[in-house]
Amino acid sequence: MKCKICERKAESEFCKFHKISFENLVKKFEEWRKSMDISWLEYLRMLQNNPYTGVWVKEVIQYLLSKNQTGQQESEKHSNV
Amino acid sequence: MSDKKTVFILCEKPDAAMRIAKALENGNSFSRKTLYGVPYYEVDRGNEKLLIVSALGHLYTMSPKIANREIFPVFDFSWAPRYLVERGAKKTKTWINVISKLSKKAQEFILATDYDIEGATLGYTILKYACGGKEKEAKRMKFSTLTTNDLRKAYESLLPHIEFPVVEAGLCRHFLDALYGINLSRAMTVSAKNWSGKYSTLSIGRVQGPTLKFLVDREKEINSFIPTPYWSIKAKIKVKGSIYEAEYEKEVIRTKSEADLIVDSCKNKIGKISRIEVKKILQKPPIPFDLGALQTEAYALFKYTPKRTLEIAERLYLSALISYPRTSSQKLPPSINYVSILESLKNHPEYRDLAGTLLTKNDLTPREGKKDDPAHPAIYPTGNLPERDLSPQEKRIWDLIVRRFMAVFGSPALKQSVKVSISIGEHTFYLRGRRILDEGWIKFYRPYVRVDEVILPELKVGDQIEFLEVLREDKFTRPPPRHNPSSLLKKMEAEGIGTKSTRADIIETLYERGYISGERITVSELGFDVIDLLDRYCPEVISVSLTKDLEESMDRIQSGNEKMENVIVKAVERLKPIFEEIKRYEKDIGRELSESIKKARLQERILGQCLTCGTGKLIILHSRRSGKRFVGCTNFFNGLCKTSFPLPQKGSIKPLHRSCSKCGWPLVQVKIKGKRPWILCINPECPSKKAG
Repeated sequence: MKCKICERKAESEFCKFHKISFENLVKKFEEWRKSMDISWLEYLRMLQNNPYTGVWVKEVIQYLLSKNQTGQQESEKHSNV
Repeated sequence: MSDKKTVFILCEKPDAAMRIAKALENGNSFSRKTLYGVPYYEVDRGNEKLLIVSALGHLYTMSPKIANREIFPVFDFSWAPRYLVERGAKKTKTWINVISKLSKKAQEFILATDYDIEGATLGYTILKYACGGKEKEAKRMKFSTLTTNDLRKAYESLLPHIEFPVVEAGLCRHFLDALYGINLSRAMTVSAKNWSGKYSTLSIGRVQGPTLKFLVDREKEINSFIPTPYWSIKAKIKVKGSIYEAEYEKEVIRTKSEADLIVDSCKNKIGKISRIEVKKILQKPPIPFDLGALQTEAYALFKYTPKRTLEIAERLYLSALISYPRTSSQKLPPSINYVSILESLKNHPEYRDLAGTLLTKNDLTPREGKKDDPAHPAIYPTGNLPERDLSPQEKRIWDLIVRRFMAVFGSPALKQSVKVSISIGEHTFYLRGRRILDEGWIKFYRPYVRVDEVILPELKVGDQIEFLEVLREDKFTRPPPRHNPSSLLKKMEAEGIGTKSTRADIIETLYERGYISGERITVSELGFDVIDLLDRYCPEVISVSLTKDLEESMDRIQSGNEKMENVIVKAVERLKPIFEEIKRYEKDIGRELSESIKKARLQERILGQCLTCGTGKLIILHSRRSGKRFVGCTNFFNGLCKTSFPLPQKGSIKPLHRSCSKCGWPLVQVKIKGKRPWILCINPECPSKKAG
């Protein structure tokens, strides 16, 4: 199986680098939500424009947002966190 | 026939040979000669005739007994002339012949190469192989500067033999480097070639691997980093007619709502000074430079890479302006004669006053660091003044070393810090001031020390302070910084891998192999993949512990507490199972490496985004019909974009990953042999190319 983002070897949807980035993304949302009271989608957009966000995280966000245009599952899943 | 004894003195570099000849001559009895273009010196010295010859760095190298580059692992190595093993080392053949020929005339041998592990090793191999087994009878000249005085003293007090334990450690280091470097590089190259049929040289070494791993680990942290928001609060306050900046008592505020609340409750209020704390701090002088500290300082001040700093320092050493730079010592023994160095420096207009000030001190004791080096003291100026015009870079490094040397004898600097607490209701802001009361050593080290003073007016508890503005600052946590060549060198030093002499070169090799790029180091995809692969199939070769263990073993050899043979046997035993694993997974490794090389090669050809279609990438291609190279859009292959640009057909082209400021199309660097590289915008219609 290949990573949906970079085509590296993957055991699930993402390779190990993008998987770690995705997990970080989910883990950190709670902290952001407490600090700024924002939704999952706002969180992703803010991180996308933040110069300190890692490249792999930005690639995951890009992927999630493009998926979001057809189905909103990812954001909905996390907006309820 | 002359009854004079002929003494053969072997130096490391031609400049050193010349300095030794000048120092040991008696009157006008020194002459420069050449044999097959190789310079050497003849000096008449009473009953002795000195033949002073230099090497050209190492003339011999470790060579695998099995020359076929497709066979690995190889555990049998021997010393061989470099011209037989390395491409581009033809010159060493003449050098070996000349040394061999001249050595036949000599009755006595002296090794006068650098007094360190490499100097001893290269001298040993030349005395053994080129001079016909003279390594055991050779005496040793030990010196830390190339000044006439030091060289004469060294000649008059020759050591009875060369430093054999150091040589043994050096031989062991070369063997281990070859064992790891040649085998691992062969393993990777052969696996990739067997899979793809294409040959590309891939290399990894005993120290190179763990060093690249540090960078990959840092890159992973940066790439997967998620910033966390936080806030801080600053206030502009008016104190006795001047405006200052005060900071809120809590440096980090975790929620925006809390920050807003603080701002609202402090806005347009008058504060009151509730406390004033004054502290006096004594700041000790810096310690003398060892090589690592000099490289770090030169990078911080002048942005010189560690390798460049070492090269400059070596030139200064060969000009007898500074002591031997490849040292780990942070100590300056009294035997270097502080007073005489300062007296000499007094003859230079820039140092006259400072050296004069130090010479009036009753007690000249340097502040020293903990590290010591049995071979050489810390880096210091010899006191000699330049005999030639120094380049601007040499001038900077020399000046830095001179000022550092003087600073270590300075008295501590006395600084005062003031912290004024200003209360507004339940909140407190701090106003901070700092000033120098007595500059002590700082005056010797200017301009290389930054002094930021904030001088506050007279204040007392109870004074009212007007808050002009209270501002919320939106901040984010930052990823760890990228390494630069200097911080990487420090990391290698802290982890105990490589030596003071090899670290800078190892970093440079990582650049040359295309594993890393940029001053703020970025790891390429290839560098990433190589480490990822080694991490999965043979993690031991990129582990710090393996390299560190070997470094410690070599230190033990050097101090006479370990035998080279034992270390080598252990190293081979550790490597055998690693290569068995590599052989077992050769196909997988080959496939992954080939894919990675293919990706890296493609990446090297990509210039940037296509401005016409917005989705394709501009890439360097070759025409199937004419073979000529040009730039095309990747969307051409989908029939979506026909954008293309011509390219120069000669020389090499490197994408700069930067856009033209005039038209926005990518820029490339064109390099043609013998010409200065130039930057070219690929757009022939670019306004920058229009005449007038």
